[in-house]
Amino acid sequence: MSVTVRLATPLRAAAKGEATISVEAVDLAALAGEIAARYPELAARVLRDGEFGRFVNVFVDGEDARFLGDGDLRGKRTVEILPAMSGG
Amino acid sequence: MTITLERATRLRGLRCRACHLLQPADTRYVCGDCYGPVEPEYDFSGADPAAIRDRIAKGPPSLWRYADLLPVAQPASHYPVGWTTLLPAPRLGRELGIASCFVKDDSRNPSLSFKDRPVALALARALELGLDTIACASTGNLAGAVAAAAARNGLRAFVFVPATTDEGKIAGAAAYGATVVRVLGTYDQVNRLCARLADEEGWGFVNFTLRPYYAEGSKTILFECAEQLGWRLPGHVVIPVGSGALLTRTATAAAQLRDAGLVEDTPFRIHAAQPAGCAPVSDAVLDGYREVRPVRTPETVARSLAIGTPADGDGSVTVIRESGGSAASVSDADVLDGCAVLARTEGVLAEPAGGVVVASARALSTRGAFDDDEPVVLYITGNGYKGTLAAESLGPAIAADADEFRAAYREVLA
Repeated sequence: MSVTVRLATPLRAAAKGEATISVEAVDLAALAGEIAARYPELAARVLRDGEFGRFVNVFVDGEDARFLGDGDLRGKRTVEILPAMSGG
Repeated sequence: MTITLERATRLRGLRCRACHLLQPADTRYVCGDCYGPVEPEYDFSGADPAAIRDRIAKGPPSLWRYADLLPVAQPASHYPVGWTTLLPAPRLGRELGIASCFVKDDSRNPSLSFKDRPVALALARALELGLDTIACASTGNLAGAVAAAAARNGLRAFVFVPATTDEGKIAGAAAYGATVVRVLGTYDQVNRLCARLADEEGWGFVNFTLRPYYAEGSKTILFECAEQLGWRLPGHVVIPVGSGALLTRTATAAAQLRDAGLVEDTPFRIHAAQPAGCAPVSDAVLDGYREVRPVRTPETVARSLAIGTPADGDGSVTVIRESGGSAASVSDADVLDGCAVLARTEGVLAEPAGGVVVASARALSTRGAFDDDEPVVLYITGNGYKGTLAAESLGPAIAADADEFRAAYREVLA
């Protein structure tokens, strides 16, 4: 099960300059594990204690990951990792 | 392009709120190390409070009078923003059970909301960087502020709003010449779209790529309140919460005023006001200052506060707890009543976010939050002519006839 992870510009240097990376993962926890294993520099920026940090917004096929419960990625195609924005 | 600012101001650099690394104030808008939010930090060592107060007193009647406390210098072309009235509000105070009540009437800014403040700072930075286009995601008020500032400075503007945004606010932004893009979805979905566009278009998104400067503008409301109260902090402030940026920067402003020696370190309690249909911060505060749980589908008449995943939500809860403050969440009926009470008692016509503040102040007062009788300042952040006005209280339309008037309005005349 492969998902495309889209990275905003400030993160690309930590992922060998790639704008997108393809990762095998069945859920967000597995995705975090794969990022930690393959892209330690990226992991240092977006993960805290092995999970996506509170200052990072993760969207799965356009849906905020905080509304996805167990973070199931089966059947999903794109994950976006974005910094928090101000409002409104 | 890299332009650093440290030498021009008291700015020491940008400090990450997550990992606390101090870094240069260049074009970065997130921490280079951990991707956390960065905020300007200042060096007030050796500052002479009397000299700063003197410069402020001699400064322009706008937020730029606080140049000593801001990260960018005043641009030559922009119009005055801020320095709005702090109204003593005794009649409203009596209605709400508040002994010393003040209204900070920020509905009187150029585009009729407090958003002109953060935009003034973001715009100054955009001009320094030589950007030709500014943009934003908005629940309505920011759209107008960005559109007006762009018009004033000859820049192109794109504003993105939920399609359900109040029509008056959309029409206003369009009238300034901005391209208004209505998006089918919530504010948070608009925000996600804008994060992508900010990355790909190179525009100055005021609440994203210019955020470290944008958010600093919100501090100036408290700077003004303190100066208008004779250089002291009010005992309490009640703040409407959307993203939480205004609330967290109010705490930053208080800390800065203390650091610079401009006010005494007196108790200053910060209270959050939210509508029940979108109250992630107030609910977290009232539930023991827990972590914020996002709201998937906000439903409230106070559309300017309909942000379900507030970027500064957890930060707001922390600030409220540390200040000894509290929060309230109020029904739509109470929001509209709050607008009516404010208009009727003090002659200030606020958009529903103002009704949220008034109704929340009533709830806090009932709970005894203001029993110390210290001054309570209510932030009124948007003008009623921009929001949804309830016309329920209107009497019948009549012919131009005195007898018909007296007959139709017998009850009011009695």
